[in-house]
Amino acid sequence: MRSAGDAWFKRIAFAFAASIPVLLLAIIVLLVKQSWLSIHTFGAGFIISSVWDPLADEYGALPFIYGTLVSSIIALIIAVPLGLGCALYLSEVSRSKTKEYIAVMVELLAAIPSVVYGLWGIFVLGPWIANVVQPFLRSIFGFLPIFQGPYSGLSMLSAGVILAIMVLPTITAISREVFNSVPNYLRESALALGATKWETVKIAVLGPARSGIVGAVILGLGRALGETMAVTMVIGNRPEISSSVFAPAYTLASVIANEFAEAVSDINLAVLIELGLVLLFITVVVNGIARLMVWRLTSKVKARP
Amino acid sequence: MDDTLLKAPDPVSCSDLSERMSAHKVNAWFYEKQALHGISMKIYDKKVSAIIGPSGCGKSTFIRCLNRMHETVPGATMKGSIFLDGKDILSKKDVASLRRVVGMVFQKPTPFPTMTVYDNVAAGIKLFGRISEQKLDRVVEQSLRRAALWEEVKDLLDKPGMGLSGGQQQRLCIARALAIEPEVILLDEPCSALDPISTAKIEELIHELKRNYTIVIVTHNMQQAARVADYTGFFLLGEMIEFDVTSKIFTNPRDKRTEDYITGRFG
Repeated sequence: MRSAGDAWFKRIAFAFAASIPVLLLAIIVLLVKQSWLSIHTFGAGFIISSVWDPLADEYGALPFIYGTLVSSIIALIIAVPLGLGCALYLSEVSRSKTKEYIAVMVELLAAIPSVVYGLWGIFVLGPWIANVVQPFLRSIFGFLPIFQGPYSGLSMLSAGVILAIMVLPTITAISREVFNSVPNYLRESALALGATKWETVKIAVLGPARSGIVGAVILGLGRALGETMAVTMVIGNRPEISSSVFAPAYTLASVIANEFAEAVSDINLAVLIELGLVLLFITVVVNGIARLMVWRLTSKVKARP
Repeated sequence: MDDTLLKAPDPVSCSDLSERMSAHKVNAWFYEKQALHGISMKIYDKKVSAIIGPSGCGKSTFIRCLNRMHETVPGATMKGSIFLDGKDILSKKDVASLRRVVGMVFQKPTPFPTMTVYDNVAAGIKLFGRISEQKLDRVVEQSLRRAALWEEVKDLLDKPGMGLSGGQQQRLCIARALAIEPEVILLDEPCSALDPISTAKIEELIHELKRNYTIVIVTHNMQQAARVADYTGFFLLGEMIEFDVTSKIFTNPRDKRTEDYITGRFG
């Protein structure tokens, strides 16, 4: 009789586990179905067109794809060194109590609602970027097209910076965990070879941790790609591809959030849903690449059981 | 067992005996807890000195003082003096250069997991600075030969170090330590994670190595101390009870506690 309980346990556990792929599939099916009108009307041209004119019913996704990718890349360029440095300080350098406070504060960063980041972005970060950061960048790197053009607080750069702050806790917390999981005897082995603190980190910590670091970065990227509220508030919402990061831009998530309530025609609605599908596709591809990288890094050093 | 004991030298008949390191009244703590109580001990040049004792007696803590590894643990402190060639190593600012002279091999084999066999051996040398590829090749081969591993891995140099067997990994770690050309080698229970055959190979290797290196080995295996060591010290509860020629410790110990331990009455 007691084995009947096992059978039920198995069935129930399977039902819970199966609900996740079913849910995922249901979302994809729904997105495809609802955006079918748009897919059918514009075909592949939708992805490569950069015209966005809802009044004339002309739609292209490229400015949004560009804005999404570039703002996320800017975020990573800023957040990866900062996050890794912070994680290294917390796990390798500091022995004092301060590290506990810093760790708590990093986690608090993750708890701030994104609309609050957006407000701060509009009133503090945006003006600071327009008045200080952009003139500084142009004075030094002004020969590069990405640092040319008029200054603006609502810009791709502002969005990248705010995203960087938002993904910083993710990257820091995960890579800290990864560093902490590196066994201490590897650090001792390096020290015993006469390595300094930094050399020890280099040969005994960063090596074994690299697949975990990739994982941390990709999780951060995943968060940056999908972030909506804060980005919408600071990116300027202009569907144009500009070579300068000082110019306003637009992301997939932002345009969906901004225009969904006002989409009147069927085709407009279908287009927005297709943008959602594109965003989903991008995040799936990013995660796939991450899996592949982590797998390649770990399989190269397969330990003997 | 008697045969192996007879091999140990008598200090009186040994004229080439010179002191390489010596510890004077070394005390060590983990936070408030004192782990070592006034340890004094001489380590003779090109001899094998073993430290035996039950678990938790401070024997590992002691050899970790000899290359100042002890102080890398949070809360760990030490007092006293340890001399290497007459100079006190505790007053030394440059700990890294001390550890180049006093190398160390740990309990568990600890190859760097993302490195190949070759890179593991080269890891320490590369810290020195630039070195030509041919010279590096030569040092790596020489170190692997000295660690009696070359024949087994010469075709596996670009394979991950973690792919070797446990005993090979431990000899790889010995090769890694030898590559930076230390003069004293500290072995912290190097065989406790190994099978008997690998253990025999490491012991054979220790016999080879003592021609060129001064060796200090911590072991909880008394037979091992009897087989490999010229001198043996017995630790109990953070104190050194007795230190003498190995054959003396095992056949005619002065202290009752040493006798109880080696005859298996406790620990």
